[in-house]
Amino acid sequence: MKEGVSPMKAEDTKKSLDKRMTLKEAISKYVFDGCSIAFSGMGGEQVVAPTYEIVRQGQNNLTLMGDSPCEVGDYLVGMGQIKRIEVAWLAFAVAGVSPSYRRAVEEGVPNKIEVREFSNYTMGLRFLAGAMGLPFMVTKSLAGTSVEKYNDMIKVIDDPYEGNKVALVPAAKPDVAIIHANRADILGNTQYIGFSSNAENIARAATRTIVTCEKIVSTDEIKKAPTFTTVPQYVVDAVVELPFCSHPWNMPYAYAYDIPFHMKMMAEIDTADGFKRWMDEWAFGCKDHDEYCEKVGWTRLKKLAQIERKFCKSIL
Amino acid sequence: MSADPKNEENPTGREEFMSTDEKKYAEDYTLQELLVAAAGREIRDREVVFVGVGIPCLGALVAKLTHAPNVILAVESGCIGPTPYRLMLGIGDNACGENAICVTSLWRAFSDQQRGYFDMGMLGGAQVDKYGNLNSTAIFGVGSYHKPKTRLPGSGGANDIAISAKRTLIMMNQQKRRFLEKVDFITSPGYLDGPGCREKYGYPGGGPAVIISNMAIFRFDEKTKEAYLDSVHPGVSAEDVRKEVTWDLKVSPSLKTTPPPTKEEADIIRTLDSLKIYTGGGLKSLTFENYIKMLNSSHARIKLMFK
Repeated sequence: MKEGVSPMKAEDTKKSLDKRMTLKEAISKYVFDGCSIAFSGMGGEQVVAPTYEIVRQGQNNLTLMGDSPCEVGDYLVGMGQIKRIEVAWLAFAVAGVSPSYRRAVEEGVPNKIEVREFSNYTMGLRFLAGAMGLPFMVTKSLAGTSVEKYNDMIKVIDDPYEGNKVALVPAAKPDVAIIHANRADILGNTQYIGFSSNAENIARAATRTIVTCEKIVSTDEIKKAPTFTTVPQYVVDAVVELPFCSHPWNMPYAYAYDIPFHMKMMAEIDTADGFKRWMDEWAFGCKDHDEYCEKVGWTRLKKLAQIERKFCKSIL
Repeated sequence: MSADPKNEENPTGREEFMSTDEKKYAEDYTLQELLVAAAGREIRDREVVFVGVGIPCLGALVAKLTHAPNVILAVESGCIGPTPYRLMLGIGDNACGENAICVTSLWRAFSDQQRGYFDMGMLGGAQVDKYGNLNSTAIFGVGSYHKPKTRLPGSGGANDIAISAKRTLIMMNQQKRRFLEKVDFITSPGYLDGPGCREKYGYPGGGPAVIISNMAIFRFDEKTKEAYLDSVHPGVSAEDVRKEVTWDLKVSPSLKTTPPPTKEEADIIRTLDSLKIYTGGGLKSLTFENYIKMLNSSHARIKLMFK
């Protein structure tokens, strides 16, 4: 593991013509101690499998930049791998709140974390600014609320044109981004069939971008439907084929939400001991994502995929 | 509240489904079902509604299946205008993009809202004050923001919705410790400190229109911007409500009783949420087998309802 240095400065991996690697390789190559990191997903489409891999590899002192992280926030905070978060929200939505976030903020367990809060839209705008190479973005959100009051990164100014109050949020430029999409080719051309959350901007704002996808397809296949390409190859450093990456979350056009699994997890991670047991079982108890899928059960995963096809059929 | 029989954009067989039981109130119903129906009735046809999860979202679907067939639902993940044949289990559930008119990105959906395209937003929180300011960030207790008694999830998109949706619906649990003179933290602004405050910050949206609690419905005085009691749910008195509010609550001179769900609304709710995930304790006891069964049967049943 590299200490505090952005790796690969010399190597222009974005120009590579075959960016395939294993998840283990991608994480160990690009996620380093002390780095800032961002993930795609929004109440679904979450980047779960890479989160487990970061838990396994143990990179530390991370700054998490995100809109509304779920596993990636709860697990990495609970494991003590995070020193700072810049987010809008951290919880498990319908399944419940994030016990690790609560323990960290309320009790400093396992360690205190620095928190800078925004809203979903304004985190989205921070990534947009990063993706546009601009220093900040302007918004009507935030001004006059406690979110602004408690966050020194938000500046409220008078609109120089019309005189109203507007808030400024700084560009988010993470060292590394991990986004999960439906499909990509080996060059990194990445297609979402369903919603894309903030993925397009998170990918572009980062120094290094790892794309995980349900399926690697040929470049000819990408060219059949180029309007689906949310992220073109020149943004991407690594491509990892990772079916069921978002489990237990849903992936549009791929598999349904496994909410019973989430409820089982919630019951377990409610206490610090339970959290440790869960990580022993599902992160350290599986050597990789394949073993995780094996453990969840392929029959179960296939059922989730099968039921999804009944509801949503893609033209791709 | 009633379907427009002359609705030209809905010339299909929907009316048949709607007219038979319309306005006949359900004889037995749960409190949650009443809340769903009450939320649904706040939505007008052809509106664009930014929905959250749970009861308000269920209300929006009931509206779509009754008096508001042309409502466009939008969610934070970037899905716009779905017609899902299943319960939406979150704002990024696949159901949100099912039969949708548009799936896009988060910042684009929120930008459409800031631009003024969204008529209504739905919000909730752990604390609300008399100006409709909401806290979903932290309960300070004897501590502070940095060392709170209870850390809550945070804004998510709530701050943006509260500022930019043309009007908002707030869903709250009625408890004295939640209905406060001042909230610990303003995550989502209502009218801030009262009249003129939203204008001062140039908020594009109009602010909260209604609070629906498990006991009552509150609306906001046009002049003072203070929430007043507009309607009590069946079996609840104004006095009961006042006991669960810390400020000196004004009561509408024409205080109403919240109508129960109609038989039609209750039927729809029970079909949409057949395992009582939002309208009962169904989530805790949900097995994988029952969940898959629910998805299978809801596909067939809900598809028919949208015909």
